[in-house]
Amino acid sequence: MLKRFANDKKLSAEQRKSFADASKFEKEWRQQRLARAEYIRAAQSILPTALAAVGPAAPPPAIVVDDCAHGNTLPGTPLPNPGTSADATAKRAFIETKAVAKFYATVFGRNSVNNAGMKLLSSIHYSVNYNNAFWNGNQMTYGDGDGSIFIDFTKANDVIGHELTHGVTQYSAQLAYANQAGGLNESISDVFGSMFRQWDANQSVTQADWLIGKDIMGPGAIARGFTCLRDMADPAATHCLAPQPTKFSQYHDGMDPHYSSGIPNLAFYQAAMAIGGKSWLKAGQIWYQALTGFPPSPNLKMSAFAKRTRTLAGSLFPAEPAVKAAVNAAWTAVGL
Amino acid sequence: MALLHVERIGGLAGFGGAGAHVRSLGQLDLDTLSAEEQRAVENLFQSKGKSKATPIRDGFSYRISRTTSGRTETIEASESTVPKSLTQCVKDELV
Repeated sequence: MLKRFANDKKLSAEQRKSFADASKFEKEWRQQRLARAEYIRAAQSILPTALAAVGPAAPPPAIVVDDCAHGNTLPGTPLPNPGTSADATAKRAFIETKAVAKFYATVFGRNSVNNAGMKLLSSIHYSVNYNNAFWNGNQMTYGDGDGSIFIDFTKANDVIGHELTHGVTQYSAQLAYANQAGGLNESISDVFGSMFRQWDANQSVTQADWLIGKDIMGPGAIARGFTCLRDMADPAATHCLAPQPTKFSQYHDGMDPHYSSGIPNLAFYQAAMAIGGKSWLKAGQIWYQALTGFPPSPNLKMSAFAKRTRTLAGSLFPAEPAVKAAVNAAWTAVGL
Repeated sequence: MALLHVERIGGLAGFGGAGAHVRSLGQLDLDTLSAEEQRAVENLFQSKGKSKATPIRDGFSYRISRTTSGRTETIEASESTVPKSLTQCVKDELV
């Protein structure tokens, strides 16, 4: 219709141009309208807490990027226009952080990490050859990598999603960082980091790579056959820089949370694969409610989290018993 | 000479963890540190590296060992509490 008006000689040149311009955006607009309708329908059929806040009252979060200029002092110097910066790291940190905020707002109705529009601050170029990214309780920090084992940590959008999700956990379940709660804390960040990566690429569960940190692996690591930090689909795989356990029987207190997280990571992967489609529409909604829909539980056990998801799978999708069966089978497979 | 053995652990990649193929090791002579850093190291050992729970996630920690009077002590401390000379003495490597 728009194209027809754009070519209608009865209309003025200005009017035809307006219709031609509008037609260029029509496809994308229709896709967005359909996606939004799908989320709202899911939200309305679902639960209590954050999803009730679709269309949050507070304004969306400000996205700020500071430059540490290879120093170790946080937050560094604010960059005036990071979204258009000539510094690719600054531009990436801004764009991907904004995309993560949009992911949480669109898919879960959450306004920033605290669900109240908290400013999202990222510090880049932290320290020298720094092989890490972290959340310090207030902000994200990214190193440039040493160029051999790792490259710039802003290059992996799942890593940016992972760090921001630590903020979401801090403002919701408040999971501790040791023992079972620590493993859950890390897993939640991997789950939502990977889910964000899939959402950003509009991938189905079978199209997704399920790798954590694929895009920050440096040439030295790749030459040795390491293609990721972790693989949610196969946590013990030899291509992982840090292979993980896959069964709860392998768990013991005192494990590094980045190690024990392999168990719930695999449970999420198996649930999402069995459910099929897009991970954020069903499995993701269940995990999000299990994280945010309960009072803070710093010492949550993995079995208690599994129980939450089993219950939620039934209550969120009562007409789809296959969803609950998938979640149940996934946890059972890892021994929980 | 009192030698400090330092290992950087944790972080997003889980440095030094079970099965991890990335680690970071270093050592340095305590006597080469400034008086201020020597005091900071002593304080870490006196407090056994313990500090109140922090909200930092994916941060590095440091495992520091020293041998005095034939006895080896090992502590773990978060990056922000460890003197710069120690955090800079380690080298990241694939294993």
